[in-house]
Amino acid sequence: MSSTIATDSHGLSDSWTIGERVCAALMPLIAVVEVLILTVTGCFSYCPCISIIDQNHKCTYTAKDFAILADETRFTVEEVEALHVLFKRLSSSLIDDDSIHKEELQLALFQTPYGKNLFLDRVFDVFDQKRNGVIEFDEFVHALSVFHPYAPMDEKIDFAFKLYDLRQTGFIEPEEVKLMVVAILIEFDMNLPDDLLEAIVHKTIADADKDNDGKISREDWKAFVSRNPSLLINMTLPYLKDITSVLSSFVFKTEAKP
Amino acid sequence: MSGKPVRPRTRVGKYELGKTIGEGSFAKVKFAKNVENGNHVAIKILDRNHVLRHKMMEQLKKEISAMKMINHPNVVKIYEVMASKTKIYIVLELVNGGELFDKIAKYGKLKEDEARSYFHQLINAVDYCHSRGVYHRDLKPENLLLDSNAILKVTDFGLSTYAQQEDELLRTACGTPNYVAPEVLNDRGYVGSTSDIWSCGVILFVLMAGYLPFDEPNHATLYQKIGRAQFTCPSWFSPEAKKLLKRILDPNPLTRIKIPELLEDEWFKKGYKPTTFVEEEDVNVDDVAAAFNDSKENLVTERKEKPVSMNAFELISRSQSFNLENLFEKQTQGIVKRETHFTSQRPANEIMSKIEEAAKPLGFNVHKRNYKMKLQGDKSGRKGHLSVATEVFEVAPSLHMVELRKTGGDTLEFHKFYKSFSSSSGLQDIVWHSEAKQ
Repeated sequence: MSSTIATDSHGLSDSWTIGERVCAALMPLIAVVEVLILTVTGCFSYCPCISIIDQNHKCTYTAKDFAILADETRFTVEEVEALHVLFKRLSSSLIDDDSIHKEELQLALFQTPYGKNLFLDRVFDVFDQKRNGVIEFDEFVHALSVFHPYAPMDEKIDFAFKLYDLRQTGFIEPEEVKLMVVAILIEFDMNLPDDLLEAIVHKTIADADKDNDGKISREDWKAFVSRNPSLLINMTLPYLKDITSVLSSFVFKTEAKP
Repeated sequence: MSGKPVRPRTRVGKYELGKTIGEGSFAKVKFAKNVENGNHVAIKILDRNHVLRHKMMEQLKKEISAMKMINHPNVVKIYEVMASKTKIYIVLELVNGGELFDKIAKYGKLKEDEARSYFHQLINAVDYCHSRGVYHRDLKPENLLLDSNAILKVTDFGLSTYAQQEDELLRTACGTPNYVAPEVLNDRGYVGSTSDIWSCGVILFVLMAGYLPFDEPNHATLYQKIGRAQFTCPSWFSPEAKKLLKRILDPNPLTRIKIPELLEDEWFKKGYKPTTFVEEEDVNVDDVAAAFNDSKENLVTERKEKPVSMNAFELISRSQSFNLENLFEKQTQGIVKRETHFTSQRPANEIMSKIEEAAKPLGFNVHKRNYKMKLQGDKSGRKGHLSVATEVFEVAPSLHMVELRKTGGDTLEFHKFYKSFSSSSGLQDIVWHSEAKQ
């Protein structure tokens, strides 16, 4: 059967004109050139890089890209450029591929890439809006915008809710709170018996659950945070108000093309 | 080690109340600390209902307002006045040298020169207050205090209206009318200035003699003796002193010596230096008015001070993963934590005391405020002085979490400090390990 096909196809080629033959011969070459052109020009239009682990895929951001990100967030173009310097430092700490992997975030926060941490997973997942397993520069800027001192409180409240809604059900449930308390105690190298754990969880749910459905809804959370503003203390990074001077000590040069 | 619970401290406005240092039937004085600046004060607490019942509001308000404007070195200063629904709080200068009469109880009578020196200070205080229209009407040993430099301070000026209501019972039932002028005892109507001078005379007598001029177990006899000014000066009094006392302890208020004459007396003038001091201008007395009016607006609440109760999310938010500041700091090798925690089932006050006990021998100065503490190293390290912020939180009804956070100095020095600190025996007593960790 295979031989038949081969014969048929060979027979077809006999009827091709010279032009068609030249075209067929050049097609792969044209495709290669086209890919090269698209790759080069792609860096001049706003398309966030698609990073693949272990692939040294690079993407250069332009002034236009920075301007778009500045429009979408609370940062100025200069601040976005400064954040890009920081992003490059973080994203090249383990795998130099213009995206932050979980291990790289862990290295930055804990100064070690090893070990499992529930909260790190949550921070990473909330930053990784595209759910592709890495944090790209646009995701990084959008997420950090929430931490800006001038970001609206509602954004901060919502971001914190997403962090604590482990199963992403739209509710923070007692089991999730317990999991997080256990995780923080492990991080603090502390251990509590189950009855005390339950007491802490029960008291917190009771304080926050205004509609008495046994779990914390977004509305419950908003009201709870307004009564306990210290819960959002980590949702504001004073550094971001003056990010350009904070990051001026980093020796990296921005790769933005004018 | 006893785990008996320590009572939580009480807060009124910006003051944390301590132990009671004086008590009457309707008032008590408590030691207190201004949590904003760490200064110690005394707070006199009056029963608001008692003031209302005896229709003393206006009079008290007037006298305390006048007293607040007085800034004399021999008069206990009134800093501010607050009120709750049931109480009036008068914040006073804290005088911690004890009562003048403790000195007599301990050492007996004073030498004439020393007695005269205290009498000078007493008259200076009384004269100044009289010139401002404020009379004491209840001068007695408990109201004469000494500061740490042995300077006399007269207290309770302007509170006489309140004190007299309180002492009416005392004078007739179980109290001592020994210092009270005859016209006051006989209820004949009296002038505050002359009755204060009488009391000063009794005080002078006690300073020099070591005992009271009028002292009878039977009240009727005592009243009689006071009414007739029947007293005898001991032989060691100088003739000039005897002469002056006769003029002060004159049962007739009209012929009794007045302060201007007293200032000209030969015995009194020996070594007398009028007090020099700066008078305060623009003293605000709005707080007095607010405390004594019926408005609910400026009321303070008395609340028990206890550690901040930490809910699960406050605990969770302390994860290092949520501290994104680390992204902006240059990385160093290895994990170097800038804070650490431990749990304890001991009462919060006990935890605070133990932390203080453990930190001081390591060369740390301790500054406490509620259940927060700042430990400041007295030696300069690699990056200046190490300073550590400590706070006790309540995470469950019987469980506290203690957080120690490096706020200054070198992180490695902080770790070294924590190692020595946590191994101290006092701290070992309070750190709680669950069965799982043992």
